[in-house]
Amino acid sequence: MNASRSDARIEVSDLVVSYGEAVAVNGVSFTVGRGEHVTLLGPSGCGKTTTLRAIAGLEQPMAGSIRIDGQAMYAAGERRNVPTEQRGVSMVFQSYAVWPHMSVFDNVAYGLRVRKQSREEIARAVERALDLVQMRHLGGRPASKLSGGQQQRVALARAIAFSPTVVLFDEPLSNLDAKLRAEMRVELRELQRRLDITSVYVTHDQEEALAISDRVIVMNQGVIEQIGSPEQIYNSPRSRFVADFVGSANIIKGRLDPASSDGGLLAFEVEGGLTLRVSAPHAVRGDETEVAVRTAYIDMQARPGDNHVRGTVRQRMFHGDFVQYIVDCPCGSLIVRRPPTNLLDEGAEATLSFSPEHCVLLAA
Amino acid sequence: MWIGELRRRLNAQVLVTTAILLVVGFLVLLPVLFLVEESFNTGDPMAFPAETLGLDNYLAILDEDLHILTNTVIIAIMATAMAIAIGFTLAWILTRTNVPGRDKLERLMELPYYMTPLVGALAWSVLAGPKSGFFNQLWQWAGGRGDPFNIYSMFGIAWVMALFEGTVAFVMIAASMKSMDPALEESARVIGASKLRTTLTVTLPLVLPGVLGATLFVFAEMLGSFAAALVIGIPGRIYVITTSIWEATLSYPPDYGRAAAMGLSLFAVMFAMVSVYRWIVQRGSYATITGKAYRPRPMDMGRLAWLLFGVCATYIFLAVVLPLAALILTSLQRFATVLLDQAQFTLANYATALSLGPVRTALFNSLLLGLGVASVGVLVMAVLVWIIYRSQLVGRGAVEYLVMFPQAVPRMVFGLALLWAWLNMPVPLYGTLWLLALAYFTVMLPLGVRSLAGVVLQIDKSLEECARVCGAGWGYQMRTVTLPLLKPGILAAWLLIFMACVRELGASVFLMGPNAKVIAPSIVSAWASSGTELTAAMALIQTFTVVVALVILFRLTRGVTRELT
Repeated sequence: MNASRSDARIEVSDLVVSYGEAVAVNGVSFTVGRGEHVTLLGPSGCGKTTTLRAIAGLEQPMAGSIRIDGQAMYAAGERRNVPTEQRGVSMVFQSYAVWPHMSVFDNVAYGLRVRKQSREEIARAVERALDLVQMRHLGGRPASKLSGGQQQRVALARAIAFSPTVVLFDEPLSNLDAKLRAEMRVELRELQRRLDITSVYVTHDQEEALAISDRVIVMNQGVIEQIGSPEQIYNSPRSRFVADFVGSANIIKGRLDPASSDGGLLAFEVEGGLTLRVSAPHAVRGDETEVAVRTAYIDMQARPGDNHVRGTVRQRMFHGDFVQYIVDCPCGSLIVRRPPTNLLDEGAEATLSFSPEHCVLLAA
Repeated sequence: MWIGELRRRLNAQVLVTTAILLVVGFLVLLPVLFLVEESFNTGDPMAFPAETLGLDNYLAILDEDLHILTNTVIIAIMATAMAIAIGFTLAWILTRTNVPGRDKLERLMELPYYMTPLVGALAWSVLAGPKSGFFNQLWQWAGGRGDPFNIYSMFGIAWVMALFEGTVAFVMIAASMKSMDPALEESARVIGASKLRTTLTVTLPLVLPGVLGATLFVFAEMLGSFAAALVIGIPGRIYVITTSIWEATLSYPPDYGRAAAMGLSLFAVMFAMVSVYRWIVQRGSYATITGKAYRPRPMDMGRLAWLLFGVCATYIFLAVVLPLAALILTSLQRFATVLLDQAQFTLANYATALSLGPVRTALFNSLLLGLGVASVGVLVMAVLVWIIYRSQLVGRGAVEYLVMFPQAVPRMVFGLALLWAWLNMPVPLYGTLWLLALAYFTVMLPLGVRSLAGVVLQIDKSLEECARVCGAGWGYQMRTVTLPLLKPGILAAWLLIFMACVRELGASVFLMGPNAKVIAPSIVSAWASSGTELTAAMALIQTFTVVVALVILFRLTRGVTRELT
């Protein structure tokens, strides 16, 4: 699954960054393949932005190494720390960092001018970059006279204008309103495919992370919780943190019954005398006490081969795109999200049904 | 091996920081140490190092000069009370009510600052001086008897101080009123509290720390205020501590020990007050100070709004219009009178002022010093600001502390310290413009660094980082991003320093030599030795020159200044 060493564009290993006493990043390792789009996802303070800034050379790590195209950019052992401007990466900042004293054209041309390209080349490259973000008509405008969405496009054009191979994104969409954010998400994904750039993207928005990434790295308190494709992260969360933070999940407590496990499935005893058949995407230790079930994967009609739990609907909330039920069961209250068809009333009896492969054993 | 290690430690940055610490320390701390030494000198006051040491100078203050201390405190209390009353009223009117022309009025409030207390004091002594003051002339003309107006009193000194310090109080209190989230008041109203109840239970407690802070700060300023006490106090034979220090250095032989003891006592008191003020600002401001400026919803005052407008207009009239008018009228007459049918108009005062060699050189010297100190100073200060706020150098905290230190020392005490230090240093700098330049640079350090720091801190760090990510080196980044963004701020700091230099009085009175005259002390000596009319002309020439210099500068840098305003 992980990109093999030979075509890894970015390799981060055992990275440690600390501010005084506080350790922001504590031994993080991952690779990003050529043309791959990887997202660092996590709550604020989890170290994702610090990791990104360390790749850009804007933070000084304490230990570990960062390699880009096989070249050491930072290596604690070799006492090597390549300055930001010589790393050849590009970055889109959360605040956009569009220079207010320059025109849109000058902003976008900056990286090209630094690289001493000819006037014609600069004009052509800026035009192409502005075209890509649909801002060509605003080239001559002072950057201080742009709306938030326009600034965001200029920042993007500036980051790709000098044809970098690696682009870093630091929560670039977090300052846009919801609708614009959804639009830009689609455009970003498109752009990324068209330009064949390698990118590392930081966000705290799990929906965004799942939607636009090839792989997602979930971080918490300075360490990596899980690395995987969006589907893997969603379907098979490894830890309680991932199950909670990405999507919405029910956590059911109980214990493994090693005696009655069959095939690839395991038997998991929960309160109320029930035994669920669960799957484990990772090596089982035997002392795990929690399973996760996605709220969207629970049906309210019995299906053969599934786990079945009987309960009473305590609360029904209509959300439009879905209906959320809270169902009191012997194993605790479960949250269920169903399409808004065939509504059940509050107080109704229900049989909850979910397949064993969606019932994921969490690491202890 | 060890040479390599040593070299690594002694890299350029450390050397730069050490050099800066040494130079700034030499400029800032050394004079004060000289002054401390002299304050314990009980032998020949001119001897250095002191022959005998003791506390006599300090004891003498309590012994012989107790009335001076009481004068100082009484005047400072009166002046502070008036200044805070003025400042609070204006701040409340201009931030919380719908007074007509609010934005314009708020800008006019800056004017008293440009007037300076010295010019203001001169003008008010013309207006309300005993006997021949304009007010008394009008009184007698209207048939009144005697001369009821006498500015040469404790109240008079306090009045002039309050008028010109009121704008400082206004700025400070208005800032604390503006930084209050209107939602705090609105939520009280929504819950059902009346306007009055909201004001008493929410607004006032939240604004109180700001007002208290301003009171302390203004009181400290009043204790160390010099210009008004000099112009108005000396003719009225009312001495305060600052004027006594000055007198002590004028006697023969100059009693520097006595002056030093008084200066250091003043410094100690002011330092304590400013520290308490800092403490209040840091801990008492609650959550109202978020760094964000809100525009609170103004209260609809109905017809009362015009009355409030009248209050603001009266302040501007008393602090700016009336004094300026009085000075202009005076400067254009042979004998100052407000009764126009008796006036003999003449331009002779201006002709005299401009033809007097000392005045011309003093004005020229002041402008030269302003230009030089502002230009060189801003560059040095920009580097200091960058080191303090953007670099990772060890010891940048110490640099900040040193740079801000002159703020705690009253300007005139610092002038005295420099005088004593350079009288006794083997470098013959005393009595030259160079010493004045050095002194101006040192006393302007906090002003310049603070105003530049405001700009540097406002620039989002990612604007600089982005340039680096785009491939620009440090120099290229400074040239294309940092400096262009700093330009308006640098220009504003330059203007501030230039103006402050041209009007500098407190430090200049001690450091001016016969061959290095500057304008503000020259005006003071003209006031003491020649007529009101000539002094008025000189004060106006000074004011006018500063205005012209600023206008020229604004013209030259029009593109940049547009961003400023």
